[in-house]
Amino acid sequence: MSITINISPSMHHLTDGQTTVKVEGDNVGQCIEELIRRFPGLKPRIFDNRGKLRKYIDIYVNKESSFPKELVQPVKDGDELHIMLLVAGG
Amino acid sequence: MLTKDEQEKYARQIMLKGFGLTGQEKLKKARVFIAGAGGLGSSSATYLAAAGLGTLRIVDYDKVELSNLNRQVLHWPEDIGRKKVGSAKDKLKKLNPQVAVEAVEEKITQANISRLIAGCDLIVDAMDNLPTRYLLNKVAIEKNIPFFHGAVYGFEGRAMTVIPGKTACLRCVYRGTIPEETFPVIGVTPAVIGCIQATEVIKYIVGMGQLLANRLLIYDGLNMKFTEFKVEKDPNCPHCGQPAGDNK
Repeated sequence: MSITINISPSMHHLTDGQTTVKVEGDNVGQCIEELIRRFPGLKPRIFDNRGKLRKYIDIYVNKESSFPKELVQPVKDGDELHIMLLVAGG
Repeated sequence: MLTKDEQEKYARQIMLKGFGLTGQEKLKKARVFIAGAGGLGSSSATYLAAAGLGTLRIVDYDKVELSNLNRQVLHWPEDIGRKKVGSAKDKLKKLNPQVAVEAVEEKITQANISRLIAGCDLIVDAMDNLPTRYLLNKVAIEKNIPFFHGAVYGFEGRAMTVIPGKTACLRCVYRGTIPEETFPVIGVTPAVIGCIQATEVIKYIVGMGQLLANRLLIYDGLNMKFTEFKVEKDPNCPHCGQPAGDNK
């Protein structure tokens, strides 16, 4: 069971420069939990201080939006997640 | 009708299959609203002017600063301290004197947005903040005006095209906001994204190709990757969902 998480470029400094990380989990939430265990600096970027997914984080499973299921969306071996941060510059 | 000079100037795009004189005439008749004369506005407006768009209405209330010059290529060192819209208009008119450039020095707000976009067929999102993008998206939906989204940060950018009533809108895809900040950016990023927005505008007007509709395109300049995400209309979207929500 291996899920690939693609990290938004603006968070690469929090994953020691890794652009993708392989994790295990049955749903998106478990995958992100493992990701954060390995890279704790990601936690405040992804979750607010009440543990809720920040509204400026978008999660895509196999390039389709996981909203509104997000953290509870099931994943299977070989799936690919993208954790994207909203950007607003012009 | 195109003049002889115009036919010669645009000959290389008129010769494109599916473009032709008809496509060029459609561009000449089009009136495009460009929200922002910064990085995205510089590149999108430059290529829309070069392509022979009829009218570009550029709206911005900022003045040119030295720190703008790494990316806002319509503004030059001698423009520092000038209104951005005036500086942009001068360059665009030099590039293509046949294009009508309307320079509007105003901040886009809920109160003036309807007046500012009146008479325009399309909206190019070249803003630097999400609240104004949401305002533009909302009015685009209400007035049935196609909306061409772009945004950048560092080496990363994104683009998406919204066709009201048919495709996902910005609020179907983005739910939150982020604090306004002085964001890092390398000039090539808004150049890439602004050109993608201009490409979408031209395709829409001429009626060629497949738009970035229901597709969010992410550009990662550091790893030189384009990734496309499928997005869908959200039935509960506060802007385009049914019934109409609170429109925040």
